[in-house]
Amino acid sequence: MSLTALRGSRGARDTRGTRRWTSIGDGPTPTAGRVLTYAVLIGLSIVVLAPVVWAVLSSFKSQSELAQTPPAPLPSSLRTENYTGALSSFDFALYLRNSVIVTVGATLLTVVINTMCAYGLAKYNFRGRNLLFLIVLGTIMIPLQLIFIPVYQMAAQLGLVNSLWGLIIPPAATPTGVFLLRQYMLTIPDELIAAARIDGAGEFRIFTRIVVPLSGAAIAVVTIFSVMWRWNDFLWPLIISQDQSKYTLPVALAQFNSQLVAPFNYILAMSVVSMLPVVIIFLVLQRHIVRGIASTGLK
Amino acid sequence: MTAMARTAPPRTAGPTMPGSGRRGSGHRRRSVKPWNQRLAPYLFVLPNMLIFGLFVIYPAINNFNISLYDSGNGRDFTYVGGSNYQEMLSESEFWSAARHTVIFAVCFVTLTTVVSIGLALLLNQKIKGRAFFRTVFFLPVVISPVVVGLIWGWIFERKNGLLNSLLGGAGLGQPGWLVNSTLAMAVVIFVGLWLHVGFYILIVLAGLQGIDSTYYEAARMDGASGWQQLRLITLPLLRPTTMVVVILSLINGFQAFDYIWTLTGGGPVGGTTLMVQYIYEHAFQSPVQYGAAAAAAVVLFCAVFALTVINYLYNQRKESA
Repeated sequence: MSLTALRGSRGARDTRGTRRWTSIGDGPTPTAGRVLTYAVLIGLSIVVLAPVVWAVLSSFKSQSELAQTPPAPLPSSLRTENYTGALSSFDFALYLRNSVIVTVGATLLTVVINTMCAYGLAKYNFRGRNLLFLIVLGTIMIPLQLIFIPVYQMAAQLGLVNSLWGLIIPPAATPTGVFLLRQYMLTIPDELIAAARIDGAGEFRIFTRIVVPLSGAAIAVVTIFSVMWRWNDFLWPLIISQDQSKYTLPVALAQFNSQLVAPFNYILAMSVVSMLPVVIIFLVLQRHIVRGIASTGLK
Repeated sequence: MTAMARTAPPRTAGPTMPGSGRRGSGHRRRSVKPWNQRLAPYLFVLPNMLIFGLFVIYPAINNFNISLYDSGNGRDFTYVGGSNYQEMLSESEFWSAARHTVIFAVCFVTLTTVVSIGLALLLNQKIKGRAFFRTVFFLPVVISPVVVGLIWGWIFERKNGLLNSLLGGAGLGQPGWLVNSTLAMAVVIFVGLWLHVGFYILIVLAGLQGIDSTYYEAARMDGASGWQQLRLITLPLLRPTTMVVVILSLINGFQAFDYIWTLTGGGPVGGTTLMVQYIYEHAFQSPVQYGAAAAAAVVLFCAVFALTVINYLYNQRKESA
């Protein structure tokens, strides 16, 4: 690190014309700026990573180890009692199952209806198309947090309270997903669709056989986003799942913690369980996520 | 050819039959589409739009309506006009939540904008481990906010928390982070920043990559220093991106809820209770004050909407000036 880091001298900068220097630390002594840059980045990386690593390590500690002051950095052994204990003495297996059902179900629904909607908006010219697209853009500006009372009333009228369908259907029509897929589908050449029509393919067949395969990359991004959104969702499940048997993992964690129902070592272990899948998905599929955000400006 | 006919703007269509009055020669045979091609787009958008209509658009309109009715049990509604708003305005809890929301949002937006631009500038250099740092800073964005609140709440705990054990070990005292309401607000802002800043860094990085490098080449030929380049080229050209960061973080800040719920629970004594939590508690927890909750939801909705429009117009004018 140090050698290349310290090579950023003024001379090197002048010879490489394409090199961009926008750092505020780039004063008369660039090497000092370099050192400062690394100090800031490494220091903040520790601030970001420390709580996550600390939580994972501590989830293997016994209750007495957790209460110890000053705390030992590492657990004495890799005890899994916190995990097994949480699953056996509380219904965390059920909440985990609810979370999986909702995440998978809602993501499937999201991908199907968002892709269809995006195709309709991207590749057809019809009355009201621009209005509908404006509505899609507008709904991005209306988050659930601002309208959850009437949304809850609607869900209640439709009998969706305390049912997993209530967690799956209302959030499934994501405006971000429609927007992202539409933008992507605009790049599919119209000639391809026209040619398929001349060959006698029906409208739905063109969609499933030509448009969907060609939109694979965008569909992948929407799938990843939807999995992360639904897995981490809190406000909507909190409102809809009033019965304990319909809790998702985040709702159970929040409720049990605030009501001091479950001991903290169990809460900690289940927090790690909640964190793990999304962190792994992110680390493996990072490229898609970053591209998705860069192309929509939304998360 | 067919492609051209289909992408023609709809206003060229005649007043009676869509597509029938389209001018221009050669496209006539294609101008009236078969019924299945005319029907298909509506069927494609229908499921998604149905859910939008039921669970976003109708509720968004209904939000205003509900705030004009009184409902003790959430079922029977009687029209009460503006008295829900009167009830809300007379509640000290509402004013407390409103004040804390504004304090939180202002600090959150300012810090998010400054920190995300600063870190993006650092990450935009040719440095070792750039991909690693970018990954690390983005990581919190994917973690459940509920879990983030739980973990930070545990770290900031007065007696056994990691932070105070470290501070105590160094002989620096053990402040009651979540007991003192000023400190608790600072902690909430910090955790909000920790959770969200990676997302904004990504947006600023995309903006920085969009700046033409020839500007910097020209500036260097004129002998501009790094600081001058930052002040006179980077920041002005980054303005549209900065606007996006401000608007999005503002919207984000006004609806902060989940991580605060598990971090402080809105305490101590309402010191970190923001508007969304106020609305939630008044609508769903006893004693239920549905009317006040609905009225507060409308106020929050209007505030976010107005701020978005003002910010957009302001930046429009700045750019055209």
